[in-house]
Amino acid sequence: MTNGFPWLTLIIFLPLVGAGMIAVAKESLARQIALACSTLVLLLSLPLWALFDPSSAGMQFVERHRWIASPPIYYALGIDGISLPLVLLTTFLTPLCVLVSWTAIEKRVKEFMISLLVMETATIGVFCALDFVLFYIFWETMLIPMYLLIGVWGGPNRIYAAIKFFLYTLAGSILLLVALIVLYFQGGQTFDILALSQASYAKDLQFWLFLAMFAAFAVKVPMFPFHTWLPDAHVEAPTAGSVILASVLLKMGTYGFLRFSLPMLPDASATFTPLMMVLSVIAIIYGAYMALAQEDLKKLIAYSSVSHMGFVTLGIFAMNPQGIEGAILQMINHGITTGALFMCVGIIYERTHSRQIVDNAGLAKPMPRYATFFVIFALSSVGLPGMNSFVGEFFVLVGAFVWDKFVATLAALGVILAAAYILYMVQRVVYGMPGVEPSRKLVDVNWREFGMLVPLVGFVFWIGLYPKPVLDVMHASVDQLLARQGLVMTAEAPRAVQENVIRLSSGTRPFEPAGLESRLDQEP
Amino acid sequence: MTFDLALTGSDLLLLLPEILLTLWLCLMVCLDFSMRKITHQNLAYLGIGGVLATLVVLIWFDLTGITGTLFKNMFVLDRLAIFFKIFILLATALVMCSSIDSVRTFRFFKGEYYFLVLMSTLGMMFMASAGDLLSVFVTVEFSTFGFYVLVAYLRDDLRSSEAGLKFFILGVFAAGLLAYGISLVYGETGTLIFSDIAGTSGSYGMTIGFLLIFAALGFKIGAVPFHSWIPDTYQGAPTPVTAFLSIAPKGAAIAILIRMFYVALASFKPMWVLLFIAGSILSMTYGNIVAIAQKNIKRLLAYSGIAQIGNVLIGLAAGTKQGSDAILFYLLTYLFANLGAFAVVIGVSHIIKSDEIEDYSGLNRRSPFLAASMLLFLLSLAGVPPLAGFIGKLYLFVAAIDQELYTLLIFGLINIIISMYYYLIVVKKMYINEPLDPSPLTVSIPLKTVVYVGIAGTLLLGIYPKPFIDWAVSATLMFSNIAGPTAAAGSIFGG
Repeated sequence: MTNGFPWLTLIIFLPLVGAGMIAVAKESLARQIALACSTLVLLLSLPLWALFDPSSAGMQFVERHRWIASPPIYYALGIDGISLPLVLLTTFLTPLCVLVSWTAIEKRVKEFMISLLVMETATIGVFCALDFVLFYIFWETMLIPMYLLIGVWGGPNRIYAAIKFFLYTLAGSILLLVALIVLYFQGGQTFDILALSQASYAKDLQFWLFLAMFAAFAVKVPMFPFHTWLPDAHVEAPTAGSVILASVLLKMGTYGFLRFSLPMLPDASATFTPLMMVLSVIAIIYGAYMALAQEDLKKLIAYSSVSHMGFVTLGIFAMNPQGIEGAILQMINHGITTGALFMCVGIIYERTHSRQIVDNAGLAKPMPRYATFFVIFALSSVGLPGMNSFVGEFFVLVGAFVWDKFVATLAALGVILAAAYILYMVQRVVYGMPGVEPSRKLVDVNWREFGMLVPLVGFVFWIGLYPKPVLDVMHASVDQLLARQGLVMTAEAPRAVQENVIRLSSGTRPFEPAGLESRLDQEP
Repeated sequence: MTFDLALTGSDLLLLLPEILLTLWLCLMVCLDFSMRKITHQNLAYLGIGGVLATLVVLIWFDLTGITGTLFKNMFVLDRLAIFFKIFILLATALVMCSSIDSVRTFRFFKGEYYFLVLMSTLGMMFMASAGDLLSVFVTVEFSTFGFYVLVAYLRDDLRSSEAGLKFFILGVFAAGLLAYGISLVYGETGTLIFSDIAGTSGSYGMTIGFLLIFAALGFKIGAVPFHSWIPDTYQGAPTPVTAFLSIAPKGAAIAILIRMFYVALASFKPMWVLLFIAGSILSMTYGNIVAIAQKNIKRLLAYSGIAQIGNVLIGLAAGTKQGSDAILFYLLTYLFANLGAFAVVIGVSHIIKSDEIEDYSGLNRRSPFLAASMLLFLLSLAGVPPLAGFIGKLYLFVAAIDQELYTLLIFGLINIIISMYYYLIVVKKMYINEPLDPSPLTVSIPLKTVVYVGIAGTLLLGIYPKPFIDWAVSATLMFSNIAGPTAAAGSIFGG
């Protein structure tokens, strides 16, 4: 069905070609080329969705060429139900990032657009790579453009934030490199991710490998207590940088857990599950609690990210179909919602040059259309039923509930806190009393901004009301992932999970999310 | 030891590269003295032509597999020697190319500069072929004499003279150590030839002798604790000489180290592995930590060079075929990235007359080309994928993990993070800070060529390393049967 056409190579390297064109083109054309290029990539990625066969759990659109003979490193690409949504999320958000920077970036536009496109190449590459070394190369390549995005176009404290971001993530990745080399020797002298996922490793080796990978992925997610770089990076980054960071980069961490930690190290994953669940719950509640106290809009959303990503890791380590599918869905939702919120903050920052809530109070009157968008995305972030985050968070909570009732209850507390901090923010920003300069003229969203927010609203309601197409794509891959997990599930695991696994292996899915109606019936 | 000097034609063929370069040298000196009108620039191009011609001969040797030994193993031309000769000649050609701008500013002896560079090159080519301790001594001194003069070339510059003096005193000291070590080894074993030493049993005298030889070669490669001359010499010497010094002699000395330890001392591997582990950890850690505080780009590159040698020693610490493959490939990546970085430094200092990192502020605004290439070179030195340095480090680490040298590995990894920090400081200056003087910088054609070659090498070795790895693997085929994992080293450092 793929006819051997190199779709993935095309969408990975087209942005790089675009970056090359921008490098030689005139400064004034940089925006147009970047937009054209990223839109083209988006259009080329749509056939992936159409041609993807959701019934197959294997890798699709596979490309495999020998790259280095010894040790055997392949240029191997492919996507399954876990990576496809993330690839599409990336291709979808990059043109929006170009649009959001259209007027916000005034100096060194060329370099900015080049960095943005190189980022796109690296992130899509991460989600498509099937060779561990190739994966690592894309994973690391993304650091440099992100460093420059924060460091060159960021806020006043950008140098500190950029270097902190860089060293934090580099320290994590270096340990991933060790894990990679050790896996090579222990997994039969191969870097093939699929082969490494089939091999079995000694238990105490798994323990250390899990820790090494955890260092890389947990920093990226970021999980509590490795989250401290995130608020700094978000506050200082330009809007497009924040959007990419929140929507795509953080997903690389959770994707890493799904692609590497769980399938390659099933024993260690089971051992570490309680710790992961505890850390996730702490992240959910702590992030929400911190968000309550923030006066800076970007910082508030950054802490809400910590909380929301806590839901994702919670779902992943619940290790049941609901949890993992909810986690993947929540990755997408968080990308859409938080990306949109950062865009909203960027829009208002362009007008008032402040991100403080007090400086941006009472926008409903001067900017009614903006206020509408802002409220929609804010409510989506809360997880209002009918909107995207509700579906994801609901699934995750069900998954967590199956794992342990108490954990799920604590995590649900995060939803309440989210309602508190988001509504408090909305109340002040949208309906508050304009503070300092009541007389200033604020222009409502223009057509460009309108154009980039409307598709996001579309996704918020599409996933919120009819998530089936997105969920269908991932069923087969998630089942396969859990089957691998089921092989090693031991008596230590809670009974509920065991029951799930048994039912799963007998072929019936314990919980079939057919559509909104059936799901609502089961809501407690 | 008697020498049979009745050389046949096929024997002479083995010496063809050296003979060709010697003749070329003589030609250059004659032309420089006799033709008053010949410019130093044309002389440089002539020299580069000679180097390239020699390169062609060596590549022909490599492709057709012409190898052999002369003078009872004093001169060995195997594929390892060919690899290092090509390496040294490549470095020489790039250094000569990037010297042209600087030589223009010299007041005297412009022609002799190229003569001295080529003479050192000749010495280093012999170093790569040294098959016994006597030729090690002679060739090391031969190549270093040229450098003594080159380092102090800016006669009226106090720093250059100071650099020359320091380099000379410590160099002569190292020569003394070398000679003393050789005499001890000869006294204990009765032979100087590597392959004969391999058959002897160890003794205290021999251990001390080889430790002294290692110390002397440690001076050449600038490994801690024999690094003390490096920062001042690098800073004071004319920048092209610094570039030359930072790559070619290190390559040649590494060739001798590999040959000495892999051939002569293969049976004592458990002992020298510890030596290299210690040297590697010390060099990486010291070089990287001290580099953080540097304000001068040449000193920064000097300390980063010390750290890079620490990385190379990882391969020797592994002490396997895999380790030597990794070293060879890593040196190639280092060649392009390091010479490229120095070419940028030469280009910048030529115009702004400064080597302070502070003056690199806003380089991106003044010359996007120089800033982008510097970024590339520094990232490759740090080992960021998909650049050459990453593949090089990956191979070294693979060799280390294969030998279960986890302590060494952990130090190597921590050092990557430290090195990233100071490379990022330079990147930050170039890209984020605003320039004091925003006038654009222009670079001369020869220098631009060097930068382009550096970029091409850095990218090619990173993205398509296969042919170069194959080359490195085939150059060290003779070490295929070197001892496997060492029980002694494993029990101490295997935790």
